[in-house]
Amino acid sequence: MLKLRELQLGFAAAVLDDEQNGFEQHIRAAGLSGARRLQIYRNNTLLSLTGALKAVYPVVCRLVGDGFFEYASAQYIARHPSRSGDLHEFGEFFATFLQAFAPAAEQVYLPDVARLEWTYHQVFHAAGHPPLDLVALAQVPAEQQGELHFQLHPAARLLESVFPILRIWQVNQDDYAGDPSVDLTAGGLKLLAFRRENLEIEFQTLEAGEFSLLCALTEDYSFAIACERALAAQPGFNLPACFSRHIVQGVLVAFHLQDA
Amino acid sequence: MIAKPVLSVLGPGSIPDRAGIGLRAEHYDAVLETQPPVGWLEVHSENYFGAGGKPLDYLERIRAHYPLSLHGVGLSIGSTDPLNRRHLAALKTLIRRFEPALVSEHLSWGSVGGRHLNDLLPLPYTEEALYHLVARVCQAQEILGRQILIENPSSYLQYMESALPEWEFLAELAQRSGCGILLDVNNIYVSARNHGFDASAYLQAIPRSMVQEIHLAGFMVNRFDDGEILIDTHNQPVCPAVWALYRQAVQRFGRIPTLIEWDTDVPELAVLVAEAERANAILEERHAQAA
Repeated sequence: MLKLRELQLGFAAAVLDDEQNGFEQHIRAAGLSGARRLQIYRNNTLLSLTGALKAVYPVVCRLVGDGFFEYASAQYIARHPSRSGDLHEFGEFFATFLQAFAPAAEQVYLPDVARLEWTYHQVFHAAGHPPLDLVALAQVPAEQQGELHFQLHPAARLLESVFPILRIWQVNQDDYAGDPSVDLTAGGLKLLAFRRENLEIEFQTLEAGEFSLLCALTEDYSFAIACERALAAQPGFNLPACFSRHIVQGVLVAFHLQDA
Repeated sequence: MIAKPVLSVLGPGSIPDRAGIGLRAEHYDAVLETQPPVGWLEVHSENYFGAGGKPLDYLERIRAHYPLSLHGVGLSIGSTDPLNRRHLAALKTLIRRFEPALVSEHLSWGSVGGRHLNDLLPLPYTEEALYHLVARVCQAQEILGRQILIENPSSYLQYMESALPEWEFLAELAQRSGCGILLDVNNIYVSARNHGFDASAYLQAIPRSMVQEIHLAGFMVNRFDDGEILIDTHNQPVCPAVWALYRQAVQRFGRIPTLIEWDTDVPELAVLVAEAERANAILEERHAQAA
C-alpha cells in the first residue's frame, strides 16, 4: 500500500509523463477500467492548461489554428509544467518555446506575437500607481535634474520586433472588420504597452529616440544618460515634447535622486 | 496599488441564508447595471490574485452591493508538498481587502513535486491522509487567521488504498481541524453515481452543525462501451435528481446559503438568477415548515 506521497507522485507521473507507469493498479476498476478513469484526469489537466494558454494567446491560436495550437500546447505543458495554483501565471515561456518549435518555424513572427500577447496579459494584471508628483518634480533644482531616476508605471511595458506584430495582432482581434492583409516586409516596430487610468490597454508605436529613452529609464539609468541614449538613437529627436507626453499620460509615475 | 480595506464600514457581515450565484467576468457589467436580486456572490479566489487591473476593480465595485464568499481552486491543500505560503499570502491579501464572509477550499490536491495539474484531484481516504489533511487545514487556518470551509469534490476514481468512505473522512476532518463543510450536493450526486454509493446516506452521515454552505451545479454524462461516467462540468442547469437531493439536504441541514455555480459555456445572467430563485423556493419551503 502506497503512502500518500508516493501515491501523488505516481498519479502525477501517470498524467504528465508516462501513461504506462502502471499506476492504474491503485485504482478500483468498477465498470470503467482504472486506465479509463485515469484518462479522465489526464484530459481534464490537458484541457485546463490548454485553455489557460488559449486565454493568454488567442492571436497565436488563430494564426496556427486550434488543432496545431493544441498540439503545441501539449508539448509545452510537458516541457514547462505549471508551477502555480494560479493559472494566470502559466504560459510565461511560450514565446521562447515557439522559437525552438520546429513545426512552427515557417511562421517566423509567431514568437514575437506570443511576446506581445504575454506583455498584454502582464499589463492587464499589473498593479496600479498614482500619478507623478509634479509639484515635487518642479522643485528639483535644474543642476540636479540630470541625476534623476524615473520609474515607469507598473502597467507600462516596452517591446520591439523586426516584424509588424502590432498589425498582425490588430487584424486578428475578434471585432476587427477591416482589411485583413498584413505586409510582412513592412518592417519592425518599437512598442509601448500601457494601461490607462480607465484600465483600457493600448499599444503605442514609438520612435527610436522615445524607445531608447524609456528603455534606459526602465534600466534605472539617470535622466542625463537616458537623454544621451535617446539622442544617439535618433539625432534631432524632440526630447522635451516626448518627456512631457509620458509624464502627462502617466507612463512615468515616480522619481528619485540617486544617493551620491 | 496598496490594498485598501474600503469596506470596513460594511464589515464582512454574514452570508444570508438565501441563494447566491458565482460571479464570472462575463457578467461584471450586467451585475453592476442590473444588481440582480441574489443574496450573495462567490468568486474563485485565484482570479483576483493579480496586482491590479480590471478584475480587482470590478470586484471592488460589485462587493459594495453584495456579501462575498471566496472559493479557492488552486491551494492544493491535500498535497504532500510544503503548504504554498505564497498562495496563502495572496489569499490573505484578498481577504483583508474584500472581507469575505466565507472562505473555502477543496478536499483535494493539485500539485506534487512542484508541478501543478491545476485540477481537483482525489485523495485516498486513509488514516495517514486524514492526519495530513487535519494538519494542513489547521496550518492554513492559522496563517489566514480564520476558519475555512472544505468542499467535497466530484471524483472519477477510487483508490485501492482508501479505507474510509468520503463522508466519514470529511466529517472527521471538520471535527478534528475545526473547519466548516461546504457541501456540494451535485458533487455528492456525481460521485455517488460514479462509485455506486447512496447519496442520501452521505447526507445523513454529515453532522448537522458542520455545513455552512451548499453548492449546486450541472454535470455531463460521458458514455463509453464499458460504462458511463458523470463529469462535473459546471456548464448545465442543475438536474432534477440533484434538485431532489438538495431538498433532502435542506430538510436535514436547514436554511443553508446555497450557491449556483456555472463556469463554462456561461449563459446570460438571467439564467443563473432563475436557478437561484429555484433554490430560494426550496429554502422557503423549509422556512414555512419551521414556522
